[in-house]
Amino acid sequence: MEHQSASGIERKLIYDRNDVPDSWWDLLRGGAGEAPFIRGAYPEMYRSKPWRIFQLSGFGSPEDMNARLKFLLKAGETGIIVKHDRMTDDHLYDVDHPEVAERREDVGLTGTVTVGLRDYQTIMDGIPIESVYAKPGGGVPQSAPYTQSSYWSVALSRGLKLSQIAGTGQSDFFLTYLGCPCKEQIPPEAALRFNLDIIEFCNEHMPKWVPVSIAGYNGADSGLNAPQELAAVLSTAVEYLDGIQARGRLKPADFAHQIGGVNFRVSMDFFEEIAKLRVARKMWHDLLLNRYGISDPKASRMRIHVVTAGSAMTYQEPFNNIVRGTVMALASALGGTQSLGVSGYDEALSIPSDHAHLMSIRIQQVLQEETGLTSVVDPLGGSFYIESLCNELEKRAWEVFDEIQGQGGFVATVQNGWLRGRASDEQTAQAKRFEANEMKLVGVNAHLVDDPIMHVDGFEGRSGDVTWAQAMERLTVLRRERHTTATMTALRELEGVCRGDGNIVPAVMGAVQADASIGEIGQVFRDAFGVWNVSENQFGV
Amino acid sequence: MSNQNEFRAKVLIAKTSLDGHWRGVSLVARALRDAGFEVILGGMLRPSQIAQVARDEDVDLVGLNVGGRIEVVYRIMDELKAVGLDGIPVFCGGTVPPGAASKLRELGVEVYPPGTTLAAIAEAAHRLTSGI
Repeated sequence: MEHQSASGIERKLIYDRNDVPDSWWDLLRGGAGEAPFIRGAYPEMYRSKPWRIFQLSGFGSPEDMNARLKFLLKAGETGIIVKHDRMTDDHLYDVDHPEVAERREDVGLTGTVTVGLRDYQTIMDGIPIESVYAKPGGGVPQSAPYTQSSYWSVALSRGLKLSQIAGTGQSDFFLTYLGCPCKEQIPPEAALRFNLDIIEFCNEHMPKWVPVSIAGYNGADSGLNAPQELAAVLSTAVEYLDGIQARGRLKPADFAHQIGGVNFRVSMDFFEEIAKLRVARKMWHDLLLNRYGISDPKASRMRIHVVTAGSAMTYQEPFNNIVRGTVMALASALGGTQSLGVSGYDEALSIPSDHAHLMSIRIQQVLQEETGLTSVVDPLGGSFYIESLCNELEKRAWEVFDEIQGQGGFVATVQNGWLRGRASDEQTAQAKRFEANEMKLVGVNAHLVDDPIMHVDGFEGRSGDVTWAQAMERLTVLRRERHTTATMTALRELEGVCRGDGNIVPAVMGAVQADASIGEIGQVFRDAFGVWNVSENQFGV
Repeated sequence: MSNQNEFRAKVLIAKTSLDGHWRGVSLVARALRDAGFEVILGGMLRPSQIAQVARDEDVDLVGLNVGGRIEVVYRIMDELKAVGLDGIPVFCGGTVPPGAASKLRELGVEVYPPGTTLAAIAEAAHRLTSGI
């Protein structure tokens, strides 16, 4: 057993009051819901509102997606997430694009495949948009305007107003410029513009919508350790805060609350992850106060969504991952998350089967209903070890933050490969600890048995070429039935906005509503902004 | 470890899918480089491109990160044959469920699922290129 945390903080045998400075104890005088929010974002936390059960889901056709969402809602999920096919949605390719056609069997395996707005109508069929909290997609900046516009357009077609729609976008840099880059995507500077446009658009029209959610998860599951994850998340926020401020229309105090809904990864270092969530809230509060002079709790209260680490889920003996999921879910709750997705126990094999999905919900329900966990706010508050860890993590995270700012900020460290280098170094170091048996994974390198009796096939769904052929048919119908002149006009308008400095969101919505296909919108972006060059260097190899 | 005069086996590392997850790819590519291999990091190549690069770069081994369905791997094997590279050793890692892994092994593709040590992967790469 190593006596240091996952990020390398030494673990003493036992902690006492002297391990925590007096200045830190002073911070804890206020309760939850009070600055600097170490003890929780809200005064009553789970006693008045348990965390939202919010599972990533998506595969196959829009009909498959619709059925899975209904299944999850029936099982007790309290928000919906639509995961889109990475080949078509994240890349903004039509299904007949050569990159897709040559891998047609993969279509629908990483999310549901859409060809245009009509498919969003199918996905949401029978699901009450007016009362559901949704993340309709758009994990990747270049696809966020399309996916969100499509979802909002479905809501509008049902007679709702934009101001009534509740949910969240993501548009995360870590996913697509650090962990899972697309083959072709707009450069980070253009992605930043997209996000700033979405923030400004939502500021004006959509008070119930979280326009962007910085996803430290994707940085952490690509290797970043806890202080790096914290620092990189806050540095991303600085890009948004400074970027919008520089546009001159809004002051940080007008919109900071819109970007305080953040996504973190919680992995298996139980105490460090609890401490990370607690200190993340303090750092967000301090950043807004010290750098922008904002003290309004509406803005300085960070809300957290946690996804448990996919990388912690093992391929061997997959049922052990139900235990891992439970431990990570418990840490997330003890850290005070507002919503939670637990990775499927079959994560290392496939996207979640219906059974794995149900287990991820059941883990959370058991914790919420059967353990007393939701009665007391911040039950670990005042623990010598936890508070000491928070204090240490904060120090280390600000050091990394300064290092990022010193290089010109978050986007600069994406561009110059520094962030990828840190992630690569960390994941290599972790792999080496595993190889040296310093890091144990039960059922993988420890306590092996001849026959673990845990055979899991992983989810395959219907054959991808069927999903692809159906989508090809829908695309043909779309192109045949739409008002081509209106579509082309809307696409030209979009291109004009892209090349100018107007807000792209209304223009994308116009194109979506004129039945432009996903690939046509993507082509406008690629023409207007060019494509980011993913060099080997940027991937730290 | 290795010097300029020593023969270094050449490995093409490519992703079969557009899923984008680079974690495994960069980890394995770095480990193979550290183990003395010349690594061509192909990235997200189409099946036909994987075969072309393997031929043009005259690689000794093809390493695939499978993030999608194995039908795409079948297509890659066909494309390798089509450019005259039938018999070139191919190994893979990624999210390959046990059933799919068996089918790939029947095809002669060695499968190293998550949880495999980097040392074991490097050892396999040495073995697969040792006859050269």
